[in-house]
Amino acid sequence: MNRRMIVASFSTEEDILGVTQAAHADGLKVVDVYTPYAVHGLDTAMGMKRSRLAWVCFAAGMVGAILKLWFEFWTAGVDWPVNVGGKPWNSLPAYVPVTFEVMVLSAGLVTVFVFLVISKLKPGKSPVLLAEGITNDTFVLAIEEEDATFDPVRVRKLFERFNVRSISERYGEEVS
Amino acid sequence: MKAETIPFSPSARVLRRFQGLALAGLLALGAGFYFAPQRAWLDFLMASYALVCLGLAGLFFVALHYATGAGWSVAIRRVPEAMTAALPVGAAGVLAVFLVRPGIYSWYGEHFSTAEGYMGFKQTWLSHPFFVGRAVFYIALWMIFRAVLLRTSRGQDSTGAFAATQKNTAVGTAFLVVFGLSFWLASYDWVMSLEPHWYSTIFGVYNFAGLFESGLAVMALLVVWLRRDALRETVSREHLQDLSTLLFAFATFWMYIWFSQYMLIWYANLPEETLYFIKRTEGPWLVLFAMTALLNWIIPFFLLLPRGNKRNSRVVAWAAVIVLTGRALDLYMMFLPPVMGANPEFHLWEAGAFLGLIGVFGLTVIRGLRQAPLVPVGDPYLPESLHYHA
Repeated sequence: MNRRMIVASFSTEEDILGVTQAAHADGLKVVDVYTPYAVHGLDTAMGMKRSRLAWVCFAAGMVGAILKLWFEFWTAGVDWPVNVGGKPWNSLPAYVPVTFEVMVLSAGLVTVFVFLVISKLKPGKSPVLLAEGITNDTFVLAIEEEDATFDPVRVRKLFERFNVRSISERYGEEVS
Repeated sequence: MKAETIPFSPSARVLRRFQGLALAGLLALGAGFYFAPQRAWLDFLMASYALVCLGLAGLFFVALHYATGAGWSVAIRRVPEAMTAALPVGAAGVLAVFLVRPGIYSWYGEHFSTAEGYMGFKQTWLSHPFFVGRAVFYIALWMIFRAVLLRTSRGQDSTGAFAATQKNTAVGTAFLVVFGLSFWLASYDWVMSLEPHWYSTIFGVYNFAGLFESGLAVMALLVVWLRRDALRETVSREHLQDLSTLLFAFATFWMYIWFSQYMLIWYANLPEETLYFIKRTEGPWLVLFAMTALLNWIIPFFLLLPRGNKRNSRVVAWAAVIVLTGRALDLYMMFLPPVMGANPEFHLWEAGAFLGLIGVFGLTVIRGLRQAPLVPVGDPYLPESLHYHA
């Protein structure tokens, strides 16, 4: 998808928080915000929804645990019953440690993999720097110019209220 | 900041309730001392031990957060500090049992050693003077650390000196080591030796897990309570979320250790070890046995799993109450099965022990809260804690 974006740079944490909040409240579409370090409260300022990754993690853990429990029961109790110290073939306590480990393993691996997929991270992906200095001392806000009603002058005014350092326009699909 | 420096004063109604509970509990136990002394003294030991554990949980929390240099917890630190007030009261109860009624331990007295023959190291270890001496030693150690940590923390309120934080970091770190060894031995001495033939090497860790899980539950309840009024401005949802996350984690830790103890004994199937669990899983006991896992882990785990619930005072309070009910049941299952038959019993004396425990703990913790400003106003990490985002 080709997009037109306005990219604005700011100098301080307070400015980027304020401008993001104002832009979001103004109904502008915030594409992303880039900061040199983690800024507390930015996720709420951007109006981001809660990540659903936690549910992926929960589901993967549950599926892993249930499959492993069934597999242990089937191998040790049904397909090839094993007598361990005279205990019943389907002895639940003996299955718990492995079930636990497989639950953790599947939850962890699936979550990381899903995270990489939805973040479009892959080996060899070339990083895009929206503006110089975002790994150093610059805070950058990217806003999409959505439709005909987009008013560049008003947006520029809004940026200026928060001591904008520079504004540029970008096209293309290099930024997700 | 001004509101928090005013001394804390709970409503008279709350105080009266705790006084009523304490009085009712002590009366019931007093009747028990007369009608069923062996059982009632055991109940009294259980309640006193629970008090010691709550006090130690507060002390451990404070020491741990100094040792790790945690900033977020500074705003709520006065709560665990106040909880340590339970330590001397519980310790007095425990020592009273050892001195007045040591007969609740089956190893006490001549008949044990003559009936069993010489038992080597165990006989020396479980001789009455050595046993009491060790108890006094552990308690003295804990009291000294408590005095130093509290005095330094409260002294900082007026000076604001960073040296106080540094001193408590060193003292707290030392306490973690001392606590790990002394509480492990104390749980062996005071609880495990109720059944002197049984042993479990993980028992100390198991007792620590219960101590800290229930301590965090009490802390969460107190924070929710204080947030309604005195700490409304200071303690945010962010603090609540971190506290509930710790509760969530240690509920899981408790389950992990509980299951480890059970599974190793179940697997090895040695007669002298399995005896303990056979007693606790036969007949109606099995229901209670399963309930401990349900109340201490399964329910709080799913209740506190979503982020929104960890930030919701009401849900956190319910989770804490469930955990504390589970703790009471866990203590019951640790102390009382040896003196009961095929069926679990719950008499006036047990009810008295638990009600009295709530009452006495409530009164001591309120006294502790009133001894210092509700927020450590001199702590250099306080601003960090006030602006904390989980």
